[in-house]
Amino acid sequence: MKERAGKLFSWLNTRLPIINTFERHLSKHPVPSKVNFWYLFGALASVTLIIQIVSGIWLIMPYSNTEEEAFSSIEYIMRDVDYGWVIRYIHTTGASMFFAVVYLHMFRGLLYGSYQKPKELVWIFGCTIYLAMMAEGFLGYVLPYGQMSYWGAQVIISLFGAIPYIGESLELWVRGDYYISGITVSRFFALHVVALPLVLIALVFLHLVALHEVGAGNPEGVDIEEFVDDDGVPLDSVPFFPYKVLNALVGIGVFMTVFAIIMFFFPEGGGYFIEMANFQKANPLVTPDHIAPVWYYAPFFTMLRAVPDPLGGLIVMAAAVAIFFVVPWLDRSKVASIRYKGIYSKIALTLFGVSFLTLGYLGTVGVTEVRKIMSVICTVIYFAYFLLMPIYTKYETTKEVPKRL
Amino acid sequence: MTNKSINLYFCNAFLILALSFFFNSLYAAEGGPCKDYGECDKFKYSLNDIESLQRGAATYINYCYGCHSLKFSRWGRVAEDLQIPEDIFFESLVFDKSIKPGDLMVGAMPEDSVNWFGVAPPDLTLVSRYKGDDWIYSYLRAYYEDSSKQYGVNNLVYPGTAMPNVLLSLQGNQRLICKDIAVIAENGGEKRDEYGNTITKEKCGFLEVEDGTGELTKKEFDTLIYDLTNFLVYVGEPIKATRERIGWYVVFYFLIFTALSSLLYREYHKDYN
Repeated sequence: MKERAGKLFSWLNTRLPIINTFERHLSKHPVPSKVNFWYLFGALASVTLIIQIVSGIWLIMPYSNTEEEAFSSIEYIMRDVDYGWVIRYIHTTGASMFFAVVYLHMFRGLLYGSYQKPKELVWIFGCTIYLAMMAEGFLGYVLPYGQMSYWGAQVIISLFGAIPYIGESLELWVRGDYYISGITVSRFFALHVVALPLVLIALVFLHLVALHEVGAGNPEGVDIEEFVDDDGVPLDSVPFFPYKVLNALVGIGVFMTVFAIIMFFFPEGGGYFIEMANFQKANPLVTPDHIAPVWYYAPFFTMLRAVPDPLGGLIVMAAAVAIFFVVPWLDRSKVASIRYKGIYSKIALTLFGVSFLTLGYLGTVGVTEVRKIMSVICTVIYFAYFLLMPIYTKYETTKEVPKRL
Repeated sequence: MTNKSINLYFCNAFLILALSFFFNSLYAAEGGPCKDYGECDKFKYSLNDIESLQRGAATYINYCYGCHSLKFSRWGRVAEDLQIPEDIFFESLVFDKSIKPGDLMVGAMPEDSVNWFGVAPPDLTLVSRYKGDDWIYSYLRAYYEDSSKQYGVNNLVYPGTAMPNVLLSLQGNQRLICKDIAVIAENGGEKRDEYGNTITKEKCGFLEVEDGTGELTKKEFDTLIYDLTNFLVYVGEPIKATRERIGWYVVFYFLIFTALSSLLYREYHKDYN
C-alpha cells in the first residue's frame, strides 16, 4: 500500500513540480526570524479573502439578482435558508474585517518601509489589490438593494458624471440604464461575483510571487541576505513552514475570535458594518436623512465632500488612492524602518495616521461648519505626508541600522 | 527606537486622536432620532422571555396587523419560535382560516389603503432594524392630544405622523403639559431667592396621561409597549437569540484554538533556538 502511494506520488511529481514548489515556497522558503505582530496582517488578509470567496459562493445560490427580489432574497437567506444567516453575516463581517486587516497591512508597509527597493512591485501589486477591493466592496454593497445600496450607488455613479465631455455617457454606460435599476443590480452582480474576484485572485498571486522573489522584510529593515550559511540560506531566517505557519496560526486564532465576537454579537457593527437604512428596500422617491458610506470608504468620502466642486472632489479622491502607487519613489531615506528613521518621519507618519482616522470619522457623520474645516485640514495633512516625503526623508538624520537581526 | 518608545509614540497619536474627537463632538449639534422627545428611551430586549414575546405577538396581531404586514415572516415560524402550539396559535391569532403555517404574513390591507392615511402603512418586519428598538419604544409612548391633526393626535418622536394612536383606549388621553421646574444653580443645587423659596421656571413638552381615561395604568401600558417592541425586535431577526447563544460556543472554540496553536508555536520555537 505504502509502496503504491509512493509510486503514485513519484508519478505525479515527475509531471507536476510538487516537491519543488513545496520546498521553494514553504519548507525551504526563508523568512526573517524576528518579526512582530504587524507582519501577521498579510496572512490574515489571505485568510479573509478565502472566507469571502467561500461564503460568497454559498450566498450566490439563494440570492436573486433582480430589482423585485434582490432585497427580499436577502431576508429569505436570513430567515428561511438553513444557517443562511451564518453565511450572510460571515460575508458582511468579512468585508469589514478584510478592509481592517488590509489597512493595518498597508500601515505596516509605511511603518517599516516595505515598499523600498527591491520591493516596489510587491507594493504596486498590493495597491492594485486595494483598488480592486474598493470596487469589489462597492459593487457588493449595492446587491442587497436597500436604501443605502441605492443611494450610495447613486452618489458613486454620479461621480463619473463629473468627468468632463464623456461624463454623462460614462455614467449611463456604468449604470446600464437612465436610473439605477434591476439592470444595474444584475451587472454589478456579474462584476462582483465573477470579474473582480478573478482580478483579485490574479493580483494576490502576483503579489505573493513577487514577494517570494525578493523576500519578506522585517521591522529592523535589515537585509538578511547579506549573511548566509554555506548553503546560501540567510543566517537570520527560519523556514516558512512550519515556523511562520505556526506563528500565523496563533494570529489567525486571535483574528477568528474577534471575527466571531463581531459576527455573533454585533453583526451590524453599530451601523458601521451594515447601515441601518439598508434594512429598508431601495426607494428612488425617498432620500435617506443622511447618506454615509460604510466605514472603509469614509476617509475618501470626506475628501470628496471637502472640495466644493464635484470634479475637484473626484480628482482629490482619486489622487488620494493613486498617490500610494508612487510611495517607493517618494521615500528618499537610506533606512527602511521607522525605528531608524529621523524625527520628521515619525511626526509625519503620526499626523498622517491621525488625519486618516479623523477623515474616516468625519465621513460617517453629518456636515457642520467646524467639521468642514477639519476635513480640509486633514485632507491637506494626508497629502502633505506623501508630497513632502522626498524632503523630510532626505534631510533628516537617521540612525545606524544593525547588520544582523 | 525601542519597543517602549514606539508604544509611547502610539499613545501620543491616540491621545491626539481622542482630543480631536472631543473637540469635534463639542460642535456636533445634530437632532437625535427621537426629535422633539429628546433622547430616546433606552430599550433592552429580552428575547429569551417567551411570555413577553407571546404577549407582544398577540398585541401586534390584534392592534397592528390589520394595517401593517410582516411580509418576510412566516406564520408557522412565529408559532414555533414563540413556543405556541400550532393549533392554539391558528385558533386564536390567525383570523383568516385559509392561511397555512408556511405562508408569509403579508397583511390584510387592500391595495387602495394609500387613500386612507395619505401613505400606505409600511411593512414592519424590519422596523426594529432600520429605526432601532429605542425609537419604537419611545415612539409608541409619545402620542399626545392635538386637535389640529386629522386623527386628533400628534407624536413627539415623529411629529406629524400619519398613524392614529390605535392604543388610545388602552393608554388614555395623553396631553402635552407645562411644568414649573426648579432652576439649578451653578453649584448644582436648586436656586433659591432671598426668602429661601425655590426659583422655578416654566418648561413645556412633558407628557401626562389624564387620570381614568385609559384601560391600563401607566405601568401596565409601558409593559404592553415593552412586549410589543420586544416582539418587533424578534421579528426583525428571528435568529437573534439563537445567534447570541451559539456565539459563546464559537468564541470559546476559537479561544481554545488560539491557546493550543500558541503552545504548538512555542514548542516549535524552542526546537529552533
